[in-house]
Amino acid sequence: MKAQTTRAADASLPAGSAADIVIDNVSMSFPTQDGTVVRAIDHVNEKVDAGRFVAIVGPSGCGKSTLLSLIAGLQTPTSGEVRIGGEVVRSPKRTTGVVFQEDSTLPWKTVLDNVCFGMRVAGVPKREQLERAQQFITLVGLQGFEKAHPPQLSGGMRQRVAIARTLALNPNALLMDEPFGALDQQTRLLIGAEVRRIWRETHKTVVFVTHDIQEAILLSQEVWVMSYRPGRILDRVVIDLPENRDTSSVGTPEFSEVFNHIWGLVRGEAMQAFADSEHAGLAGNHG
Amino acid sequence: MASSEVAPQAGRSRGRGLRLPDATPSVLLVVVLVALWQLGSTQEWWSARVIPAPSDIWTVGRTEITDGPFFTDALATITAVFASIVLGLLLGTLAGVLFWRKQTLGKMFEPYLISFYTVPLVVFYPVFLVILGINLWPIIILGSIMAAIPMALNTWVGLSEVRPVYLNLGRSLCLSRWQTLRLIAMPAAAPMVLAGATMAGIYSLIGVVAMEFMIAQSGLGYRIRYRYESFANSAMYFYIIATLVISLVVVALLSLLPRLLGTSTKGRS
Repeated sequence: MKAQTTRAADASLPAGSAADIVIDNVSMSFPTQDGTVVRAIDHVNEKVDAGRFVAIVGPSGCGKSTLLSLIAGLQTPTSGEVRIGGEVVRSPKRTTGVVFQEDSTLPWKTVLDNVCFGMRVAGVPKREQLERAQQFITLVGLQGFEKAHPPQLSGGMRQRVAIARTLALNPNALLMDEPFGALDQQTRLLIGAEVRRIWRETHKTVVFVTHDIQEAILLSQEVWVMSYRPGRILDRVVIDLPENRDTSSVGTPEFSEVFNHIWGLVRGEAMQAFADSEHAGLAGNHG
Repeated sequence: MASSEVAPQAGRSRGRGLRLPDATPSVLLVVVLVALWQLGSTQEWWSARVIPAPSDIWTVGRTEITDGPFFTDALATITAVFASIVLGLLLGTLAGVLFWRKQTLGKMFEPYLISFYTVPLVVFYPVFLVILGINLWPIIILGSIMAAIPMALNTWVGLSEVRPVYLNLGRSLCLSRWQTLRLIAMPAAAPMVLAGATMAGIYSLIGVVAMEFMIAQSGLGYRIRYRYESFANSAMYFYIIATLVISLVVVALLSLLPRLLGTSTKGRS
């Protein structure tokens, strides 16, 4: 047990590296209550190069979060496999960092203890924990709040704590599942800009799931558009905006062109999803 | 990072230490009631043989303390209650965790656990007597069972209501089941678990005193009955009041648990 912890700690501490992610012919289906089988992910074959920032957009219920949790190892694909840095993902790995949509800060711990939590269970020595925690608390702009508890913070600040906790483990891939889904528009824009800044400083491989097309374009180098069930990648759109972009890019012709292209793809899928949920609603009323 | 992002209650929710809520009004209420009681008994609003005056009860009580069996009885009751609470909390926590991990087992036991709340378990005392004999054990066992039931239910419900994202966090950090329980699930369920612990304390006290009434050869419950059967009315009232005081102390001690654990959770990390 002891030896295992130490080994895990060593494995989680390579010097600032990034790994590539290969999604090899991955399918995922699960049974529903009425006996039918939903194909959430259908034969997805994609690759994220090391250090690249990819955003996945698609209508609600298209399986983009499922795809992310397959990469994270939180779920196992029905067929196919995911490889991170050449290693097949069978269960969660400490070298893969996950930021969840819901608030995952632990309310009974201070900000500092929350950020240390991941390192602590990974067996990082206490002194190093504190050093790195301080470094990442500063990186996400929370210095001065080390002793505060999450219930005293705003939703945006809590999500920063979660991001710092994940980054402090020095993952070589960062998976974010609609991390700003619960935040208001202003906070989304501000934190989004910070995530992009952090990515440019650390150069992790990032996979970022969102339903906000504008957010996807502003943050990433490449946007994957996903179809409604069965979930497939309809298009990979390389974002050719300046590295140093911010919200002022939103009005430019380049931005509009990309946005309209992606929206054209997503709209059809979203209408399909909408029709499906209407149908399910009616069926529910009669049954 | 403006400080205006901090919610208004910042700083107030923690660091209060072990200060109890202001008890002055409650104490005042008791003082007024006791004064009325004293007045009523001495003015013979009712027969002093039915309800003796507090001053008489205190006179008799003093001899019970100095020359009588008070300390032996109080110690017997406190020992039994303490043992019941410790055993009950352990048993209840184990059962609650087990029901959470094995939901089918939990579903199987759920209706019986809930109905045990309403069954006066004390009626089973002959069974315990037959199995365990007349000694301290039937009392402690019944007190433990009565304490374990609310503890098990609250632990189970508290753990079942832990937000799934916390458990996913545990999985993504590769925690073992034991680490997940100790570092994430139990602290997250703590408010519910601690409410269960308070209930457990109250229930075990009820169980212990009721059992002492019926089968014991010592303890406050036994002594209340003994004094009552020998028409020593004032002494009976003294022991009843002593029991009430002990139950208040037990509840007060249990209400300190969250803060004690709260500080210890902080210290652990």
